[in-house]
Amino acid sequence: MTSKRRFRGLIVAGGTLAAAIVLAACGGSGGIENSSSGPANVQTAKYTPPPSGDLTISNWPLYIDKNTVSNFDKATGVNTTYIEDVNDNQEFFAKMQPLLAKGQSGGRSMFVVTDWMAKKMYDFGYLQKIDKAGIPNVTANLRDNLKHPSFDPNRDFSVPWQSGMTGLIVNSKLAPNVHSINDLFDPQYKGKVEMLTELRDTVPLVMKADGIDPNTATQQDWLDTIDKLKQAVASGQIRRFTGNDYTRDMANGDVSAIIGWSGDAVQLQADNPDIQFRMPTQGCILWSDNMVLPVGAPNTTAAEAFMNYVYDPHNQAPIASYNSYVTPVDGVREIFQKTNPDLVNDPLIFPTADYTKNCSTQPNLSGQEEQTVTRAFEGVLNS
Amino acid sequence: MRNQRIVALRRRLIPYFLLGPGILWLILFFVVPMYYMGRLSLDTGVFPSFQFNWQFSNYSDVLSAYDTQFIRAFEYSAAATVIGLLIAYPLAYAIAFRGGRWKNAMLLAVIAPFFTTYLIRTLAWETILSDNGFVVHTMQSLGLISGDGRVLATSGAVIAGLTYNFLPFMILPIYASLERLDRSLIEAAKDLYSSSRQAFLRVTLPLSMPGLVAGTLLTFIPATGDYINAQFLGGAQQSMIGNVIQSLYLKQTDYPAAAALSFTLMAAMLAIVFIYIRFAGSEALMGEEVEST
Repeated sequence: MTSKRRFRGLIVAGGTLAAAIVLAACGGSGGIENSSSGPANVQTAKYTPPPSGDLTISNWPLYIDKNTVSNFDKATGVNTTYIEDVNDNQEFFAKMQPLLAKGQSGGRSMFVVTDWMAKKMYDFGYLQKIDKAGIPNVTANLRDNLKHPSFDPNRDFSVPWQSGMTGLIVNSKLAPNVHSINDLFDPQYKGKVEMLTELRDTVPLVMKADGIDPNTATQQDWLDTIDKLKQAVASGQIRRFTGNDYTRDMANGDVSAIIGWSGDAVQLQADNPDIQFRMPTQGCILWSDNMVLPVGAPNTTAAEAFMNYVYDPHNQAPIASYNSYVTPVDGVREIFQKTNPDLVNDPLIFPTADYTKNCSTQPNLSGQEEQTVTRAFEGVLNS
Repeated sequence: MRNQRIVALRRRLIPYFLLGPGILWLILFFVVPMYYMGRLSLDTGVFPSFQFNWQFSNYSDVLSAYDTQFIRAFEYSAAATVIGLLIAYPLAYAIAFRGGRWKNAMLLAVIAPFFTTYLIRTLAWETILSDNGFVVHTMQSLGLISGDGRVLATSGAVIAGLTYNFLPFMILPIYASLERLDRSLIEAAKDLYSSSRQAFLRVTLPLSMPGLVAGTLLTFIPATGDYINAQFLGGAQQSMIGNVIQSLYLKQTDYPAAAALSFTLMAAMLAIVFIYIRFAGSEALMGEEVEST
């Protein structure tokens, strides 16, 4: 009896303590209940040479060769920590946002995020402008068609890391006749089709196949297209939606034709020559992943030095040959002519203007429209 | 006199000291986050500016929007629990009563999968159950699935994955309760002319109930909230409630809806577990400690 009463007392004491801590911790509003500050007072990350000290970079996995980081460290005396912790734009944003809202970058000097996410972060006031004085190589060598994107016309806050195309990846033995996104809805490929979980890749491609320009599409166009996907899921046409994991399904032969990224196709093809990237007849989606400087970033001078370093074509060449994505740096092709002549005519690495003539950039979505469309799309992913 | 009082005081304080670290841990990492989650679940607004608004409709909204995935999660995990039990009980019985000198080796084999991470184990199943794999071809030739049928991206694959991943949590408690069972009780039953079957049903099974109840709970609870198996082994139509919560938090950044859904899930699980324990009897869960008092 007594011991029971004593334990009850303990529970009460614990509860009181808990309440006290909670009350102490919740003085004002909760951590994420901050309003956005907007891009009105964006600072420029002043370049003050020489670069030195520690540099921390967050990038996507398998996006750099093994030597570039150590070569950069040797050339500049900077001590770089390179982390591969960006797996998904939205998830990375959700993870970083509470810090960014407080003006912190979690110790990172530089991130790599896709166009629309760079724009979104910038609009929230989470990015700094890049000091052009620190990146002469970027000014000199950035490819012309990437110099003035609609989301950042003067490249004030973003520098492309690599670019790529979203289109069809097919197993030419299993799906010889798939050339348009519309062919993915052909019942003969029922259950053998996959699409990407990226809203801004999958939906615009399906829109284009239906003759809608994704960059001028209305919210209703988005919802109608998402509804079309929903029906294709319900009928069993679309097996599932994936990120990079479609590479396993493709390699295992579980799927015949999918929506995927150009660089993956090059790597898949190395294992299975039947797998190939196909430019959809109605065009692809073009995107870049960009280096950006978050607010509160330490040692932005070293980060700018890194941007400048990878924009020297000689330093870019190993990154480009490792990735098989579209390199944003002019002059790499000339180097490849000597070192990797077989890559020079690969349209996935050096696409001609004619090859990408029907392609669109990823459309911008924001505010309420973004939330409505995202919710509808996620509803299809989790039917 | 004084000395005695100090001893008495110390004796009274010792339990507090012993409980201290645990309680502090629970407060910091359970009570405080729960408070914020509860508060968040009543917010309104668009990310990142949410306002606290006593928005109780968040709860009814998520429940009506995601009832399919909610029910599916409970169905899948109930199926995985039942199948797991059917596999685990005979196995645990065999190890406990017939293991002999192989007992430790067999237990090691049960735990061995834990040497590989959960994610990798699930991904391995993706390869095992692949459309062109051995398992699917065998099932096709046995007529278990149609000639162009598949296993991956079906409910069966998700349930199989859940069963596999949580099986050790079912086996170990059942094994523990069978292992410490007093064998002379079974002999006594047989001396009293009960058949093997009767002895099992009236002695072994009731005495192993604590392990059985613990095992089913350890399987059912985590399996209901799981999203890895549905993500890798399921298709677009096999999403469980965990996948929806993940999407709401990380993709849609709709924190109030995600928090409301998490709370609803917790409440539903608590209710089910409560009814289950009531039904199975709390003595079954607590085991001998209750009996001995």
